[in-house]
Parts: sequence; C-alpha cells; structure tokens
Amino acid sequence: MTLLSLDRLTVKRGDCPVVDAATLTVGAGELVGLIGPNGAGKTSLMRGALGMLPHSGMSSLTQMPALARARHAAWLPQARDIAWPIAVETLVMLGRTPHLAAGQRPSARDRAAVAQALATMDLTGFETRPATELSGGEQARVLIARALAQDTPLILADEPIAGLDPGHQIATMAAFAGLARGGKAVMVSLHDLGLAARHCTRLVLMHKGRIHADGVPETVLTQANLAQVFGISAHLAQGPQGIIFQPLEVLR
Amino acid sequence: MTRALFPVLVLVTLALFALSLLTGPAGFGLRESLSALVTGQGEAVTLVMREIRLPRAILAVLVGASLGLSGAALQGYLRNPLAEPGLIGVSGSAALGAVIAMQTGFAASFALALPLSALTGALVAVLLILVLAGPRGGSLTLILAGIAISALAGALTSLALNLSPNPFATAETVFWMMGSLADRSFAHVWLAAPFMILGWAVVLPLGRGLDALTLGEDAAAAMGIGLSRLRLQLVVGVAACVGAATAVAGAIGFVGLVVPHLLRPLVGARPSVLLPASALGGAAMVLLADIAVRLVLPERDLKLGVLMAIIGAPLFLHLIYKTRRAGA
Repeated sequence: MTLLSLDRLTVKRGDCPVVDAATLTVGAGELVGLIGPNGAGKTSLMRGALGMLPHSGMSSLTQMPALARARHAAWLPQARDIAWPIAVETLVMLGRTPHLAAGQRPSARDRAAVAQALATMDLTGFETRPATELSGGEQARVLIARALAQDTPLILADEPIAGLDPGHQIATMAAFAGLARGGKAVMVSLHDLGLAARHCTRLVLMHKGRIHADGVPETVLTQANLAQVFGISAHLAQGPQGIIFQPLEVLR
Repeated sequence: MTRALFPVLVLVTLALFALSLLTGPAGFGLRESLSALVTGQGEAVTLVMREIRLPRAILAVLVGASLGLSGAALQGYLRNPLAEPGLIGVSGSAALGAVIAMQTGFAASFALALPLSALTGALVAVLLILVLAGPRGGSLTLILAGIAISALAGALTSLALNLSPNPFATAETVFWMMGSLADRSFAHVWLAAPFMILGWAVVLPLGRGLDALTLGEDAAAAMGIGLSRLRLQLVVGVAACVGAATAVAGAIGFVGLVVPHLLRPLVGARPSVLLPASALGGAAMVLLADIAVRLVLPERDLKLGVLMAIIGAPLFLHLIYKTRRAGA
C-alpha cells in the first residue's frame, strides 16, 4: 500500500530549485533513510511533501485536507522547539491533537497511545517532569514520542537521532524499524550512514536537490556514490546484519 | 493545583467585585448599599450604586478580563512571555483616535464620541496589520507590523499634543492617556461589552492551536492546526478586546503582561488553560487596582494606569529575578 507518493516535486528558493523534480513512492513496511550532504534538499523535500513550502509537482499529502493529513502523516521538525515548561506527558499528548475534537478530553485510547509512545522512547517515569528542564537528548526523545503518539500510518522525521547517545540512537532506529515492520512507513533524514545502512530498508540519496540514488542500502552506499556526493571514501563490508559502513577520509 | 485554581479565581473576582461596589467617597453602610443596589430604596444611594459604582465595577471586570486574555493569547501565539496586548499596535491606535477626538473637540459633541473615535482608531490599526502582515506570514511579520503601527500611532499622538492650540485639551488628553475607570456610565458598558464579548468568543477557542504551537509552527501545522486562520482570529479577537478596553478606560498597561506570567506556573504552563485563567486573573487585578486608586489618594484622582504600572513594574522585575534564579 502506497502511503506517500511524490511526482516531480520541485521546491524553489528564489530561482534556485532546492528540490528538483523529485519522484518517489513510499509504501507500508518501509523505513526510508533520506541521506545526503548539508543543503542537499532533504528537509525541503519533506516539508514540500507536507505542503509547508510553495512547490510545483504533485505530493499525495498536499491533496488531503489538513485534518486528514494530520491523521495520515506525523512530522517531526529538525528544530526542537518547546516554548513552555509543560509536563512531558502533556507534551506527548499534543500528538493526539488531530484525533481529539476541540475541547474533547483524552480518552483511554489516547492515554494508551501516549503511554506506549513514552515507553517506546524509554521515558517512563518522566511523565510529570517539565519538558524544558530535560537534557537536549531527552527533549529530542520526548519530541519523537509526540510524533509516535500521533499514531499515523506515515512518519516523516528530520534528523531525529542527531544529538542522542548511541544507545538511544540505536533504540530509536529500532523503534522506527519496528513500526515499519508493523505496517507503517517511516522516512527519516540522517547523517549517520552506518545506522542508516544497518536499520533502513531503503535509502534515498539526495545531491544538489535531485534524487541521486534510491534503493536498498547495498546499491546506494557504493564507493562511487560516496565519492561523488559526499566526497569521502569509506570502508564498506558485508556483515551478518547487512552492510557495515565506516567513513575513512575526505577526497577533495 | 489547576483544579482548585479556577474556583479560587472566581471567588477572588467576586469578592473584589463586591468590595469595589462598597468602595467610594460617599460612605454608605454595607446593608444600605446592597439593599439600594437590589431594591432601589433611597434615591441618592441608589443613584450612586446603580449609576456610578456598578458600571465602574463591571467595566473593571470587562477591561481586566479582556487585557488578561489578550496577553495570554499573544504570549501563546508568539511563544514569548514578554508579549503584551499593546504589541500589535491596537492600543496605541485606539489612543490616537481618542486624542484626535479630544483635540478637535469632537469628543465633546456627544456622550460616546470619545470611545467611538478610539474604536475607529483600533479598527484602522487592525486593517493596517492585516494588510502589512499578509495572509500567510508568520509571527515575525505580525510583530514587526505591530511595532511599526505602534510607533506611527505614538508619533501622531505626540504630534497632536505638540501642535495643540488648547492647553486644557492637552491636559485632558494627557490625563485620559493615563487610564482610568472613574466617572464611567452604563453607556460605556454597553458600548464596550459587545466588542469584548466578541473578542472573548473569538480568542478563547484558540487554546488547542496555541497548545500545539508550543512545539513550533511546523509541528503545529502538521498536527492539523490552520495557522493562517488562527492568526486572523487572534488579531481580530485581541483587537476587539484591546480596542474596546482602551476606548473606555484609556491605556492600562502591565495587566496583559503580568497576569499570564503570574498564573503560568499554576496551570502547568499550558496555553489553553492559561487563557481563561488569565481572563479571571486580569479581572481580579484591575478590580483590585481600581479599589486601590480610590483608597490610596481619594482626593487626588489617582489614575488606574499609573497605579498599575507602579505595582506592575516591580512585580515584573521580581518575576524576572525568580525566573533568572530558576534558570541558573
């Protein structure tokens, strides 16, 4: 089942296309890693797909009404904004906003979704703490939990694991992989190519606004692609759990 | 804590409302005042209670609730605890409208000429903001448009005073700008109430969207919150509240800034809960200040806006100090 489809999606900043005719579909069961150097257009691709940037071309998400879209796709922005010292549980409950009518109190189902999200992100026991008093990595996990609590078939996350410790990076990627196996689809942008190779079912490599390569990690993480797009060399090996990636040096 | 907060705020507001009715230079007894208010017995005391003190107390509630609610809504929308109702330029423009009316003598032509001029000023400001900030702009364009309009209205107000041919009109204008609820009648209540109640009805339902905005504009939009509509509702609602409040009471600062700040820790910092709490808290604070101006210097007509700033500024400094210590 297709959960996201983009057809020649183009996002322009002034005259310069930051996303140039991107075409892809994401189906249930996929954990898509969106990789590429800084400024390659990863964030713009996802924000354009969600209709948050002026764009041309087609995105299946922008054709939905706002509320239907909020029930279909959760978006985790890169900026970790928490404006007020609200309790962690209250913050994660915000993810239930699209499922609650104005003024409606959270039902048992909403509370269960929040508890589940908190447990997934290893935040049980943090419920009543003010979110602004947590460490940066803990705040990042709380915000991921909010996106999980939204309980949507599709999750788009912009660098969700940046700044997390290794244990929670792996746990977060594993949680996304688990959601994908359960029939959802997740698209994450990330810079840790080793984790991307290890956990993603598919990688989309962006370069200068274009989709440079798209496929299983083995076909995308090649010496040629790494040299051309990132300008690095790397050690690539086949391990028992997929491809093993270790960056070595800058080529330029 | 939140559960007990609302009954407490309602009780405090009611108690202050009653106290406001019993405060004034005409020293009537408690029983005499209340029976006159309800039954209309005793000509002089009935007149004082029904025509002077009752509208004054009602206006204190209306103005305070409107300013408290507007402050909480703007702080929630801008995600900044320093936002206050004057920020979008409506109070400055309403004051300009009033000043022009006073300087041209239009204010003396009929009873409600002054507040109506102020409301016209507020309306012009709203239209300007909506044009300047555009339909799709973010919160930054709103602040910038508000600052520009405030500055322009302030400059034009100064110009009107500067070029004033009449020193009496100038003195009257300066005193009016200090803000007061003295000598207001039910005509003022009937003029302001519809705008304020409209404003409350437009702003109070924004709680859900403001809660979502805690996580930023992108996250809120992705949770199904229509930000353009939210902003339009906010501007119109706040303008109705603040424009009407300025029209009948002049410029009263600090309520919209301090009240949400005081109550935020008591509502778990949730913008949606802070809205009604700040409305009640604002009503209580203006009632209290309006009682104080009558008790502190009964003969000198101490202005409400002046007293509010004198109390508000140190309170605000104390809050900043506390915040700094908590953050350190």
